[in-house]
Amino acid sequence: MKIRAIAFNTFSSLVRNKVIILFCAMFACIVLFMLMPLMMAKSMAKSIGAGQSATMVLGMVSAVTMMVTGFGSLLAIWASADAVASEIRSGTVLAVMARPVRRWEFLLGKFLGVQMMMAIYVVAMLLLSYLLTWLGGERLGSSPVLLILYPMVRYAVYSALAILLVTVMHPVVAFVCGFVVAVLSSMVSPSAGHSVFPAAIRLGLYVLLPSTGLLSEERFLALTQSPLKAAPFTDHLIALTYGLDYALVCFLLAAWVFRRRPL
Amino acid sequence: MSTPAIEFLEVTKVFHPRFSEEYVAALTGVSFEVVPGEVCAFLGPNGAGKTTSISILMGFLFPDSGTVRVLGHPPGDVRAKAQIGFVPENFAYYKFLTGPQLLRFHMRLAGLDLASAETRIGELLAAVRLHGYESLKIGKYSRGMVQRLGIAQALLADPQLLVLDEPTSGLDPAGRHEVLDLITSLRDRGKTVFLSSHILPEVEHICDRVVILDRGRLLRVGFLRELLRSGDQVEIVIDRVPDETSAALAEFGAIATPVEQRVRIVADASRKRELAELLWAAGCDVVSINPLKSSLEDLFLKTVGGAS
Repeated sequence: MKIRAIAFNTFSSLVRNKVIILFCAMFACIVLFMLMPLMMAKSMAKSIGAGQSATMVLGMVSAVTMMVTGFGSLLAIWASADAVASEIRSGTVLAVMARPVRRWEFLLGKFLGVQMMMAIYVVAMLLLSYLLTWLGGERLGSSPVLLILYPMVRYAVYSALAILLVTVMHPVVAFVCGFVVAVLSSMVSPSAGHSVFPAAIRLGLYVLLPSTGLLSEERFLALTQSPLKAAPFTDHLIALTYGLDYALVCFLLAAWVFRRRPL
Repeated sequence: MSTPAIEFLEVTKVFHPRFSEEYVAALTGVSFEVVPGEVCAFLGPNGAGKTTSISILMGFLFPDSGTVRVLGHPPGDVRAKAQIGFVPENFAYYKFLTGPQLLRFHMRLAGLDLASAETRIGELLAAVRLHGYESLKIGKYSRGMVQRLGIAQALLADPQLLVLDEPTSGLDPAGRHEVLDLITSLRDRGKTVFLSSHILPEVEHICDRVVILDRGRLLRVGFLRELLRSGDQVEIVIDRVPDETSAALAEFGAIATPVEQRVRIVADASRKRELAELLWAAGCDVVSINPLKSSLEDLFLKTVGGAS
């Protein structure tokens, strides 16, 4: 009950956070602006042929999805760092921690509160994907379960990482570090092709940093006209378990550091 | 002998500011005890280490050395926290919640039964004069209202120990009076109250024990009654001072001050009998002889001033 109370309170606080509302509004405007090329692709369907049009729509949906998921990662990092840091900065944590609440319970409540907000974001993202493909005159063939589970696990990884970082550093520094981790992890993934890093460093970073490429739902985006090969159930299980395991390790480390942190 | 409600044993806390070679000794070997059922005033000038001590007591900070026990448990232990009500010095609450919503949130954190929540919340809001403001967001509260809500949340779980850091700051005289009455009623119900305050005349009327700190060091600890009686002067009230006794009074080192229709003489307690006999022999009517009781403010200033 305590963890649930903290989670719901965190969620209520986040959805009222002016910085988050402002950035979401700005981002929504950018996405709406990006709908224009999609409408153009639809209007060109007759002249370029149905197959080519479907590929164009898929490419655009994929690009918008990539942007939206990237923004989601930043949102997860910022919301998690701010959810913990703002309580400490404002002093509201004192009244909460004066209750029979363990420090790890407080952190878990914060983490779950952020996940509640991210769940809404993911559902909105899914609806946006359907809307984009519909506007492009196509139909999304990917399983909605995959399009929900993968980003949720990826955001859980970034949330746990941000909570770990914010227990030892300023929230802005934690956000920047989280952002750097997100960029580096995409640079060192095998799918990134040529890398600026030497092989040994690239391998080390790939092992150490979260493999967000593996947790990307983008590879499952498919239109009915050109379905991608279906991945076996075990592939999903391994990828999602890997993500949850990474998040768990980050969270346990955060709880270990936070247990002796002055409030 | 019962377990002390609060026990500090040789507690030391040093702060090391980041990027600095200097350090600040917030507490140095502080030891004291608070017995269950008493009201203990925790006094000291700004920077004395009161808030650091309270933060250690609540498990927000950790001492560098020494031992702290709260209700027989280490600070921060959930078994102890379940029996503590706490009002922080500069407390902040979620501004988007209303008073009843905040109390409901704290009831959940305390693991209390929500079935009787509305009755309990109604009682508490009435006790701190916040009824009628149920739908108002905390962000719109005045400082005094926030302070009263803080006291309500501290009383929510009917705690055995109340830790109040400046509970009357921000309150109007009526509000302060109500809080002091509340503290007295809690003591009458066997609760332990540990409060820090700067308003000494108010604290004097309600506290049993006093702990005085200055610059992280414990200067004085003891029962207020005993500390205030520890003066070595006596107050003799007479109807008049005959002219022939003025020289004798000066010889005794006594100071005579007219008070309304009478004269108040303050003299050394060791010579009270001689002085009283002299006055009696001079035909004065000796109305009363009492040990001179200093105020808590006098004691505080003397203790802190003497130390510095």
